Amino acid sequence: MSKFIYLTATPEALIASMLPPAEFGSYLSTGTKKRNKGQVIFFEVDLSQIEKLIDMESLNRRCVPKEDGKPKSSVYLSVYKTLEMIPLSALKSLYLTADNGTLLELKKTPYNSSKEVEGKLYLFQELCPVTPLVASGLTPSAFVKRLTDGSTPIVLPKLFFVDLKLGELATNPIKGSAEYLPYSNVGHLRDCLEILKGEYEKHMKTVQRIYSGTLLYRTIETGFYVGSKNELFYYPYPDMTELENTNYEFFRSI
Amino acid sequence: MVSLPGASPFEVAAIWSVLVIAFFGLAYAMFLRRQVMACDKGTEKMQDVWDGIRLGANAYLKRQLRTIVPLIFVFTIILFLSVYVVPPTEESKLRFVGYSDESLKLVIGIGRAVAFIMGSIFSLLVGQFGMRMAVQANVRVASASRRSFAEALKIAYRAGTVTGMLTDGLGLLGGTLIFIIFGVASPDTLLGFGFGGTLLALFMRVGGGIYTKAADVGADLVGKVEAGLPEDDERNAAVIADLVGDNVGDCAGMAADIFESYEVTIVSTLILGVVLFTQTHELSWIIFPLLVRGIGVLSSIIGTYLVKGSKTDKTNNALKQINKGFYSSAAISIAAFGILAYFYLGEWRSFLSVVVGILLAIVLDEITKHFTDGNYHPVKDIAKNAKTGSATLILKGMSYGFEVAVWQTLVIAVTIFASVMIYSGQPIVYVLYGVAMTGIGMLTLTGNNVAMDAFGPIADNANGIGELSHLDKDARKIMDSLDATGNTTKAITKGVAIGSAVIAAVALFGSFITDVTKVQIQMGFEKSAQLLETGIRVSVPMVFIGLLIGGTIPFLFSSLTINAVTRAAAQIVEEVRRQFRIPGIIERTVKPDYQRAVDICTVSAQRELIPLALIAVVSPVLIGSLLGVEALGGFLAGVILSGQLLAVFMAGAGGAWDNAKKTIEDGLYGGKGSEAHHAAVVGDTVGDPLKDTAGPALNPMIKVINLVSLLCAPVIIAYQKPGQASVGMFITGLVCFVIIIGAIVFSKRGGFKKVPFEA
Repeated sequence: MSKFIYLTATPEALIASMLPPAEFGSYLSTGTKKRNKGQVIFFEVDLSQIEKLIDMESLNRRCVPKEDGKPKSSVYLSVYKTLEMIPLSALKSLYLTADNGTLLELKKTPYNSSKEVEGKLYLFQELCPVTPLVASGLTPSAFVKRLTDGSTPIVLPKLFFVDLKLGELATNPIKGSAEYLPYSNVGHLRDCLEILKGEYEKHMKTVQRIYSGTLLYRTIETGFYVGSKNELFYYPYPDMTELENTNYEFFRSI
Repeated sequence: MVSLPGASPFEVAAIWSVLVIAFFGLAYAMFLRRQVMACDKGTEKMQDVWDGIRLGANAYLKRQLRTIVPLIFVFTIILFLSVYVVPPTEESKLRFVGYSDESLKLVIGIGRAVAFIMGSIFSLLVGQFGMRMAVQANVRVASASRRSFAEALKIAYRAGTVTGMLTDGLGLLGGTLIFIIFGVASPDTLLGFGFGGTLLALFMRVGGGIYTKAADVGADLVGKVEAGLPEDDERNAAVIADLVGDNVGDCAGMAADIFESYEVTIVSTLILGVVLFTQTHELSWIIFPLLVRGIGVLSSIIGTYLVKGSKTDKTNNALKQINKGFYSSAAISIAAFGILAYFYLGEWRSFLSVVVGILLAIVLDEITKHFTDGNYHPVKDIAKNAKTGSATLILKGMSYGFEVAVWQTLVIAVTIFASVMIYSGQPIVYVLYGVAMTGIGMLTLTGNNVAMDAFGPIADNANGIGELSHLDKDARKIMDSLDATGNTTKAITKGVAIGSAVIAAVALFGSFITDVTKVQIQMGFEKSAQLLETGIRVSVPMVFIGLLIGGTIPFLFSSLTINAVTRAAAQIVEEVRRQFRIPGIIERTVKPDYQRAVDICTVSAQRELIPLALIAVVSPVLIGSLLGVEALGGFLAGVILSGQLLAVFMAGAGGAWDNAKKTIEDGLYGGKGSEAHHAAVVGDTVGDPLKDTAGPALNPMIKVINLVSLLCAPVIIAYQKPGQASVGMFITGLVCFVIIIGAIVFSKRGGFKKVPFEA
């Protein structure tokens, strides 16, 4: 049986498993007895690139089939500073599961920052290693750079995040319609965006400190980003029509 | 055999033609059934899932028969004996000239009893046969969806049309057959026919409503909300009961409901037509409505056969195809009615009344759509309020529910006013006849309407079978699309069912006034004391009391039906939870005991039938015997008004909450899992028993009360002279009161003695 290495985002953990991504996602979402439910977001990691970073002997000893011959579901290798230690090049596809364990695979693509739209506002849900919801006037590449290049007192080694829909608030936080946005406290969101719009020096504003653990997949604007300094990888999220055509099960589950 | 004094050869031929059309409608139903049954049932896994639904449906139908048949027997005897309390009408003596009084009583008594049995059996047949057809069709639709959208649509709609044409064919057959045999004496027996159909519809509506929502709410609360399982997950022990429930409620219940409206409108029209015939000696008052019904059947056959998708069809145009069939039937009908009116009647009043009825059906459709369809402002507005929680969402839904009740009632008021204008300057009987003809017009397209309604559970079940047997993505998309269309058609036909119930009840109300007057004349009442002269005077305290009590009956009925759903759903919740704890069920290594949930729903649904039927049957007797016949008229007015408002409110609010949830699930405000979605789920759960149990049960209840009033009014007049107290009537009233209290206690407690459920 093959071995797979996965990096889960929230909570952060490096896990070895004998389950391929679809079964692993379902296992994490619904549990061994299928009595649980909940989203999971995880990367598949290229084992060959991290062999020197982990205890391979321990991995080979622990990640073996169970006594009844069934594949081992999970062997935790690390639960702290995990993203930090994994090279970005080792990250393969990103997987999202719905509450019921249905899986969506997002392919890794190089990010083209020249297509970014300047002058509008963004809403970023940080997913790893920290998890606040942040409004920003920075584009995704600038956002990652600012938080990871050491130019500010608060520095992160790497950052994994997703950008969320802001609708008309992205360009007009005061008068723009927020009718179709699902966020619970739109008044506070407007306040944050207004500050960003008004203060030239202010680039980020925390909207919500604690992540609920549930990402509303239908509110994703462009996709997921993982990067550090000038290195940024992008996992584009399909629009709903494309998703309906390419992964109907997932589409129905969100 | 047709005995109609003064009938022209054309009129005699016309009546026989109507009878032939009725058989033709039934033959068309059988032809479609054969087409559907010839289709394949898919893979072994699909048939395995389907078998569970089929067995569950059969168990329900069998148990329903066991509960209902003894009651049919009891009521048949009562109806037979009723002729010995109140003698046959003058029209009966005219029809059966030369018969002695005793022979006439025997003939009319037997006629009424047989008509009652016929009405009951036809209603039962429409519900049971229609439901069996739906169950047979769902697996075939699921199988066809693997091949093409067009084939799946065709099978689903044609299977629904089988029920539609049964409704049409049997409704027309019963009324025409009675008319052919009894001629002008038919009102004496038609009441039995109408009562049989209505009582059975009440049973099927109440039983179906409780079953479907107990299963649905129970399955969702544990499966979806607690365990996070998707819809129609095979590990949910209530999933089969839920699928069976869709057939029980939306197919058997709705078909029987529309069937009895169809029946009752022809009954009331013929009663009023006979009154006009005796006054004018023109048979067209009776023949025209029968011919209108016959044309309606033919146009439904043409319209329903037009519904088919082409090979290039995408998965989102099922509603377009169905609407094409509906509007084709409507256009054909109107043109044919016009030709008939021009050549046969030579005047346009009856024609205009029928056209007003067709327009009423279309306007009610549009109003229902406006308030319950996700593409319009009200549902979007309700969904928007989900962002601030379930309380605001529920309040918004209630607000729109109240509003839709206002508009629908106003439209019906305008329709009745149209009859007043059409028959302007004529006595009130003409206006009442116009209202009855409006009902005939409204239900012209019954074949299409019932087909649209039955299409809903067929598509829903096919989707469930697809989910449970893990069909591929393309097939599932087709079934999802058909299912969504079915939800819309079900909502639309609910609006028609409620509207037609009210029009039929108003027509019956008219029959009540004319019938009471006829008996009063027979009894030698002075003209100034006859009901047609006095009217129903709400300024008279007794009448006002009757009006008030009548207004409470729909509320009592709704309270008891919702209570029954809540109780049964709680049992389902416990059962599903218990089965989830059984090792292996969640892991899919052990199959749940689906039959147990089916049994719980079946037992709960049937247990409520008798007390609720007793309330509907006994309450008019109570009011009539204690307060008098005019107060009974007030009571009927109260029942019709509050019943209409409450039924539309519940259907409107429930439908709007349901679609608000679906709108959010389609991606608005974050989709599934968002706070808005949680609020919408609460709204939908509250609305479910309102729109699918309590609201629909009011339709047949209103008519049962009207028909019982029609049947018992002559007895009340005979034994309760104005200004004289009657000990017999007082004792009757007292007995009725005790029966109603007993029924309420029984229904509220789920039996006289609280016992844990035993399947």
